[in-house]
Amino acid sequence: MLFSSVTFLYYFLPAVLLLYYAVPYKLKNAVLLLASLVFYAWGEPVYVFLMLASNACGYVLGRLIEKHRGEKQAKTWLIVSVVFNLALLGFFKYTDFFISNFNAATGLSVPLLNVILPIGISFYTFQILSYTVDVYRGDVAAQRDPLKLATYISFFPQLIAGPIVRYRDIATQLDERELSFYQTSRGVRRLIIGLAKKVLIANQLGELCEIFRVSPDKSVAYFWLYAVAFTLHVYFDFSGYSDMAIGLGKIFGFEFTENFRYPFISRSISGFWRRWHISLGSWFRDYVYIPLGGNRCGEGRQIINLLVVWSLTGLWHGAAWNFVIWGLFFAVFLIGEKLLWGDALSKVPILPHIYVIVITLVSFVIFDSRSLPEMLHYVGSMFGAGDYPLISTEFLYYLRSYGLLIICAIIGATPFCKLFFRENSFGITLKTLFETVFLIILLLLVTAYLADGSFNPFLYFRF
Amino acid sequence: MKDRITCFALALCLLCGSLLCLFREKPDFSESERRVLAKFPETTAQSFFSGDFADGFEEYATDTFPFREYLRSVKAHVSRAVFNLSDNNGIFKENAHITKLDYPLNMPMLDHAAERFDFINRTYLEGKNTRVFLSIIPDKNYFLDVLKLDYEKLCSYMREKMPYASYIDIFPKLELEHYYLTDSHWRQNRIYPVAETIANALGADISATYSESFLPDPFYGVYAGQSALKVMPDSIIYLENDTLSSCTVTSFDTGKPEKAEMYDMEKAKGRDPYEMFLSGGSSLLTIENPNAKEKRELVIFRDSFASSLAPLLVPGYSKITLVDIRYIQSAMLGNFVDFENADVLFLYSTSMLNASLAFK
Repeated sequence: MLFSSVTFLYYFLPAVLLLYYAVPYKLKNAVLLLASLVFYAWGEPVYVFLMLASNACGYVLGRLIEKHRGEKQAKTWLIVSVVFNLALLGFFKYTDFFISNFNAATGLSVPLLNVILPIGISFYTFQILSYTVDVYRGDVAAQRDPLKLATYISFFPQLIAGPIVRYRDIATQLDERELSFYQTSRGVRRLIIGLAKKVLIANQLGELCEIFRVSPDKSVAYFWLYAVAFTLHVYFDFSGYSDMAIGLGKIFGFEFTENFRYPFISRSISGFWRRWHISLGSWFRDYVYIPLGGNRCGEGRQIINLLVVWSLTGLWHGAAWNFVIWGLFFAVFLIGEKLLWGDALSKVPILPHIYVIVITLVSFVIFDSRSLPEMLHYVGSMFGAGDYPLISTEFLYYLRSYGLLIICAIIGATPFCKLFFRENSFGITLKTLFETVFLIILLLLVTAYLADGSFNPFLYFRF
Repeated sequence: MKDRITCFALALCLLCGSLLCLFREKPDFSESERRVLAKFPETTAQSFFSGDFADGFEEYATDTFPFREYLRSVKAHVSRAVFNLSDNNGIFKENAHITKLDYPLNMPMLDHAAERFDFINRTYLEGKNTRVFLSIIPDKNYFLDVLKLDYEKLCSYMREKMPYASYIDIFPKLELEHYYLTDSHWRQNRIYPVAETIANALGADISATYSESFLPDPFYGVYAGQSALKVMPDSIIYLENDTLSSCTVTSFDTGKPEKAEMYDMEKAKGRDPYEMFLSGGSSLLTIENPNAKEKRELVIFRDSFASSLAPLLVPGYSKITLVDIRYIQSAMLGNFVDFENADVLFLYSTSMLNASLAFK
């Protein structure tokens, strides 16, 4: 079930909210768990059992690790947990990728298994992994109540598109959390803004990208328009989903960590990744990069560590080589900034912003490629290597058509709007009234777009 | 207090929406989109576990959402007025004209059309003393500032693929005003010069005097509802004279001859009033003119544009046969149509040639 759907907004959510606020406090986690299972089963009626099995393993292994903490067995159970979860992820997400590469390398034709990827498996597997590792490290106590652990892992706001919430961040909230009008109103605001980002901006930009893909009238400028549109599409889609998740979390009394902080205002690629998909970046930092040695080793080892982490980061986004190349593409610039031009960047005005924008535009063209030849073709064509004219009729038409939306999206990707509303308080009552009316209008517009049955893709089916 | 206002206002919106979704009567048909709306999906274990129930329910919930027509209109206006998007779901509005983007040129479709025409020529026309003509009708995008087909390429490609047909160029005879504001079709009362150009090329005399009659109701074409925008209606004007009144129109849709109408007033009251011309879509239809100056026959392979044009060609022929190969197999035509000594005209709009998959 998508958050940006009539079913979720007008059937599922009101029913869950009524039930959640109607039941006594001690039953609220049970309501959330039940709602989460219905939410997941709606889209994955079979794989809901896989997620429950995964939950059960996480619970049992967490308890075993804690029971044997300080003993050798704790490490054994941790390894079991890591192997189990990675095997699960590997089987469902990467089996066919490995088989096809094996076939390509050996000339054999091992049949593909055509395994259907369970939605959200990358997110919940990483949550279970972080939980068991944190229990092993002694950062958190193992959860004794299996329902609470299941609520954490399968909590529907963050189940299918993140953010990757750490158990230690919400462990206490599972036991006790504040349900206030302040928290709920913040959550509602965040939810609706997220919906608007997804439905009003991301979906329309996504439509332009689809139009570009089938265009017979491509040009160099059109490739750049596509790169801008797709980059903004991914940002508004993903950050919109994160906003919805954070907002829903607040409505149910949870505080999730931020996942996006205006990444396009960064002055370096390392800065960009401190602002883009923060929960994933910090997960890889804490559970892969630092255990590999992080920055505490020599330059050569640091480079290897970065290459490992970023190829894994790429692979996490999808089982295809373009994602690995996408990760390594960033790794090259991160290594460059660390060892070569990082200091110089911090001293120059404007140029660092252009540098970040150009690199991210190219990176998302790589990200969106359906094959390696297409990736080379698209990236090459952006720089005039393709046999395309500079501009084309179709480019001019769509630039004129989508120009204003792209400008709005660019402004919306900066903190400008947030600062504007913060600086102009208008008086508390007027501001509240204005804000409430504004949110109602946004909800009406989102509903209008959804009721029209407009283009509404789900980007995370490969995650 | 301010947080309570926000919470209660938004909760009320969601709750009202939810209650309306649950209890408001669900429509079966969308008049504006001219389509049947999704129905509540089948509730079986298999449909649930296959995911069909979830997909079906989402479609049903979206299609039957309360006040959907109004919301579609809100969306269309916001897309246009706020985001400045040129088209909404492929529907484009320029001044009072509404049209559907038909882009890009689909060469496999042109090939398919040409292959079907070639089959007809080889099977029925060669050696039958027929004269074969091709004429292509530009869709109204040709006259608008939209993303449009490469019309020159389309026409030259079809001419190249149909060397057995003489081409009749009617592009210069048409202007934007010759088309309805909210429909793809042309206005019968404005296309006499087109009919004249075709008749001249065929060597037929179609000179006649007509009187104009109006349908009483405003005409909202197929794009009016799809656009979900506020639009100006047209009026349908049709041409009448004694010759047309004396003609016999016969439809062979059921395999047997059935009386049909030159101007069908029942269809004029229906969902698509343009169907009043020759009673709308028909696989095979003949117009017999007892007052023809000479015994002469014309066979038109056509789409819906010909429904309003064919009556204007009547004075030049004793019999006109209209064939729509979207509804009848080309291989069966020999059972129904005699091509001997007839003039044969392939008359198709660019949009139909560019989407010819239905040609049989």
